[in-house]
Amino acid sequence: MKIVVTVKLVPDTNAEKRIDPGTKRLVRVPNETVLNPFDEYAIEAALQVRDARADGSTVTVVAMTPESGKEIVRKALAMGADDAVMLCDEAFAGSDVWGTAIALAAAIKKNGFDLVIAGSQSTDAGTGALPGALAEYLGVPGLTYLRKLAVEGTTIRGERETDTGFQTVRVEAPCLVSVTKSINEPRYPSLKGIMGAKKKTIAQWSASDLALSVGSGGAKTELTAQASPPVRGKGKLVEAADAVAGAQAIIDFLKEKKLL
Amino acid sequence: MQHAIAFVEQKNGTARRVAFEAVHAAKLVAEQLGGEVHAVVFGSGAAAVAELVKAHPATKIHVLDDAACNGFLIDPIVDVVAGLAKELGGAIVVAGNTMIGRDVASRVAARLDAGINADVVAFEVANGTVACVSPKLGGLTITTCAFKNADFGVALIRPNVFAAKTDAAGNGEIVALAAPTRAYAMTIEADVDEAAAELGVEEASVVVSGGRGLGGPEAFTTILKDLADSLGGAVGASRAAVDAGWISHGHQVGQTGKTVSPQLYIAAGISGAIQHKVGMRTSAVIVAINKDGNVPIAEFADLMVVGDAFAIVPELTRGVHAAKG
Ligand SMILES: Cc1cc2nc3c(=O)[nH]c(=O)nc-3n(C[C@H](O)[C@H](O)[C@H](O)COP(=O)(O)OP(=O)(O)OC[C@H]3O[C@@H](n4cnc5c(N)ncnc54)[C@H](O)[C@@H]3O)c2cc1C
Ligand SMILES: Nc1ncnc2c1ncn2[C@@H]1O[C@H](COP(=O)(O)O)[C@@H](O)[C@H]1O
Repeated sequence: MKIVVTVKLVPDTNAEKRIDPGTKRLVRVPNETVLNPFDEYAIEAALQVRDARADGSTVTVVAMTPESGKEIVRKALAMGADDAVMLCDEAFAGSDVWGTAIALAAAIKKNGFDLVIAGSQSTDAGTGALPGALAEYLGVPGLTYLRKLAVEGTTIRGERETDTGFQTVRVEAPCLVSVTKSINEPRYPSLKGIMGAKKKTIAQWSASDLALSVGSGGAKTELTAQASPPVRGKGKLVEAADAVAGAQAIIDFLKEKKLL
Repeated sequence: MQHAIAFVEQKNGTARRVAFEAVHAAKLVAEQLGGEVHAVVFGSGAAAVAELVKAHPATKIHVLDDAACNGFLIDPIVDVVAGLAKELGGAIVVAGNTMIGRDVASRVAARLDAGINADVVAFEVANGTVACVSPKLGGLTITTCAFKNADFGVALIRPNVFAAKTDAAGNGEIVALAAPTRAYAMTIEADVDEAAAELGVEEASVVVSGGRGLGGPEAFTTILKDLADSLGGAVGASRAAVDAGWISHGHQVGQTGKTVSPQLYIAAGISGAIQHKVGMRTSAVIVAINKDGNVPIAEFADLMVVGDAFAIVPELTRGVHAAKG
């Protein structure tokens, strides 16, 4: 089975983020960039499916990212993925969900796939909309928000989180699934994994390799304005003498704000 | 783009609160485009929900109340919504930013080759072009993104932002949709509601969250829940509480959980780490209860009460009941 994991590179939330006022794009300083935390769960899920099958199944990581993301993509290889494809092209810069989904779909089709595993959301400007759009462009069913995944032959079974509980869902490969952080505990790359990753292939494909023209010119949405939200300052601090006084301070405050 | 389609999310005859907000948001846009509002209600129980939609401003309410479609997840809904958009020739599709809403909207967008804007809190319409205002990066910046000269666009609205007051003015015409005839690949084998009819944190106008300071699962189903109930709100949690297994992930607020912006957010025993903050900092009013006055949340809470949550929370619930009479 050919398993493909889509991974996004995102700014480390512990690092300060900045928007470039000229290009209006998020500034990504290389060493402040990490694998989208959700995608580590996706990689782990893929490795577990591959290893359980032990039939020569492979895991390929696909990321649309500038070339500077190479060392971070290598982390996915160090975890155990077999190879990686990076979609690097100035033409991809500024892609919206539409542009990203089209480019990823083209790359995944070129690579070949039976099962695509995505994270369910990304922690930067992500919308959680990519997996659905990608499934549509791949022309396969999309099973989202899985907290359990089992593959038997070509049958994919999953337990899907819902807003009120869960569903057990079944589908035949080829298909796309997205996973939540309840699905597993991602492994840390072992020393052997890190050494081995240096020898693994990271292919770089451009828009012309995929016969595509997407990116800022081809995006379906256009950033027209950007504003900073009002700064949230320090509010009132009350040292409660006892529980009644503490509760009363809150009641008074809620009344003042017309919330009670 | 001339008309607006609102996806009215419902399950077994109970509509999501954001479903009606979507109809109003659709109306806001359609009005300025000079078009119509089409609501789509799907699945068993849809007919009952459609009656409720009549009290909201939809021109037409498209209904498919068919249990046969329940077992296929979103695929038949996508066919119906995208099909309607194509029939109308040009439309913005509006859905709530919920799990189902995102799934439906993202596939519909791709099917229509349309752009998608998520977490929308306002629309701006000028010269027939629709732009969406959304907070990004956990509220770090607020962006306005326009759909570029397109026939179609898809917007996922943030719950709790667009008012959904009922008015008799709507009285939309109910139109029966034909059931899709094609076979669908995804099959739901079991659908389990663990928390029936519970209000999700994303939609609640009051969220009462607990963190590691609450020491165990009990507080989440007792003192925290009582306070949330007294205020008509929902219970949320920090990741520390979720990771400890005290409450399910669906309640988690933050970077790897849900983004909320209620009228009131109460954080009890939560330190206010950046990853928690990005999920709740756009709340209108933030109140924190913490033993320690020097935690990060003190820097951005509107009111910080230093004290023991176990003692203050039940007292506060009593006070709320007293104030409400
Ligand atoms: C990639 C990544 C993603 C993350 N995503 C999220 C996310 O989505 N959501 C999230 O919340 N966190 C997230 N985190 C974790 C985050 O960094 C913090 O660790 C977490 O928010 C801490 O939870 P807490 O405030 O409940 O616990 P703590 O930081 O331990 O705070 C507990 C607080 O309770 C107070 N306290 C103790 N006893 C009492 C009492 N009796 N009464 C009142 N107060 C008391 C203490 O003073 C303390 O301030 C993420 C971290 C990473 C690295
Ligand atoms: N640029 C990208 N390259 C590869 N995968 C991506 C990219 N953007 C999003 N994804 C995938 O889509 C998922 C959801 O991201 P998003 O829709 O951006 O919140 C991520 O967890 C990734 O698996």
